[in-house]
Amino acid sequence: MQHDPAIIAGVTLAIEAAINEAISLSLGTREALSQKAGICIAIHCSSPEVNVYFFVSDSGSISLQNYSESETTVSLSGSWRDFQAVAAADDAAGALVNSNITVTGDTAALIEIQQIVSDMDIDWEAPLVASLGHVAGHQLANALRGFWRWRTDSHERLTRQVSEFIIEEGRLSPSKHEIDAFLGDVDDIVLKVDRLESRIKRLQRQLKPASELS
Amino acid sequence: MHETSTDDTTDFGYERVRKEEKAGRVREVFDSVASRYDLMNDLMSGGMHRLWKRFTIELSSVRPGQTVLDIAGGTGDLAAKFSQRVGPDGHVILADINAAMLSVGRDRLIDKGALNNISVSQADAQFLPYADNSIDCITIAFGLRNVTDKALALRSMHRVLKPGGRLLVLEFSKPTSPLLSQVYDAYSFSALPFMGKLITNDADSYRYLAESIRKHPDQETLLDMVEDAGFVDCKYHNMTGGIVAIHRGVKG
Repeated sequence: MQHDPAIIAGVTLAIEAAINEAISLSLGTREALSQKAGICIAIHCSSPEVNVYFFVSDSGSISLQNYSESETTVSLSGSWRDFQAVAAADDAAGALVNSNITVTGDTAALIEIQQIVSDMDIDWEAPLVASLGHVAGHQLANALRGFWRWRTDSHERLTRQVSEFIIEEGRLSPSKHEIDAFLGDVDDIVLKVDRLESRIKRLQRQLKPASELS
Repeated sequence: MHETSTDDTTDFGYERVRKEEKAGRVREVFDSVASRYDLMNDLMSGGMHRLWKRFTIELSSVRPGQTVLDIAGGTGDLAAKFSQRVGPDGHVILADINAAMLSVGRDRLIDKGALNNISVSQADAQFLPYADNSIDCITIAFGLRNVTDKALALRSMHRVLKPGGRLLVLEFSKPTSPLLSQVYDAYSFSALPFMGKLITNDADSYRYLAESIRKHPDQETLLDMVEDAGFVDCKYHNMTGGIVAIHRGVKG
């Protein structure tokens, strides 16, 4: 289904503004991106049918388009669900490799941009200070930082405790080490079977009369 | 049904006027609204005109070093964007038949510091004063419906475009949904002149704008006209339910 270009352009414009605002608040990101000027990453979403092209400019800002005839550095094609799963994953690179998303072009450029994005350290205090003043802005930024730290710690603690309960106390699932050891054993057996199969074939060849071989 | 008629009259909104009168009547309208044209566009379209123009620029696929002609460019918002795209080696011509609109556009571009690669030219779309095969891309945004002889203007655009160059016509069109059409009619003939009265103290000019939109060819008719002018690979994209359409043609 073809979507209204004006609506898509509006959404794209809002995302572009948010990305560039984040870049301007992260020291060094603009400089790092300007080193990658000229890269174009295309995202072709099949369901819903939307194309988005990310261009890195000389100044280190990102511009987004919904239509482009320029050559793309790397293209990613998949459904919205696929892209959503990758975006939500803790290990985005690993999730991308194991997803249904098709990647074509220079994947090194994608990895470089992904590295810059993951290194981004956004200084949220700057816009708060600019709009609320030094005292109130700093206090609010401290409160938000504390809340964010608490949320991150709580999330990590909860994940660890749930994991420990499932593995250690409930014995509902084997631990990662046990799984790794099991998979290692399976790999060993596969190798041994392969070797055995090749030895059997060699023996069979040696037992056959010379006339059959010719 | 093409707008060109066998007699010597043409549409001016819902009125019929002599062909030689239309340009003067249109000039009066734009002289009246020039100083607040962008503000009115924002209010009337709820800011949507910026998104329509953004998509137009994307469809143009203009590259650094190219020459772009923005006809009926008025206050220069498209020209400013194209100026960034073509870069210092490229050239943008901001053309308009109306001196008052051009003056506002030139002042805005000077304020933005964007005149390095832009030249300003008072020109009639029907008789473009540029060399044959000299332009890479032509845009005309919300201007074609005010041109007296649209077919003549399209042929003139075809003449000045380089082979492979593209034409983009952004213009009000016919809503695709009957319900939207009714809402749009009510808005155009009631709210629009009222807003024009409030902001520019000129309800008549905005009534003309609403009428001229209704008299403008619909999507398929304009597509035929673009093809008749000699363009190939012609297509159009409806935007905002067909309230606006962008037609694209390539000079073969």
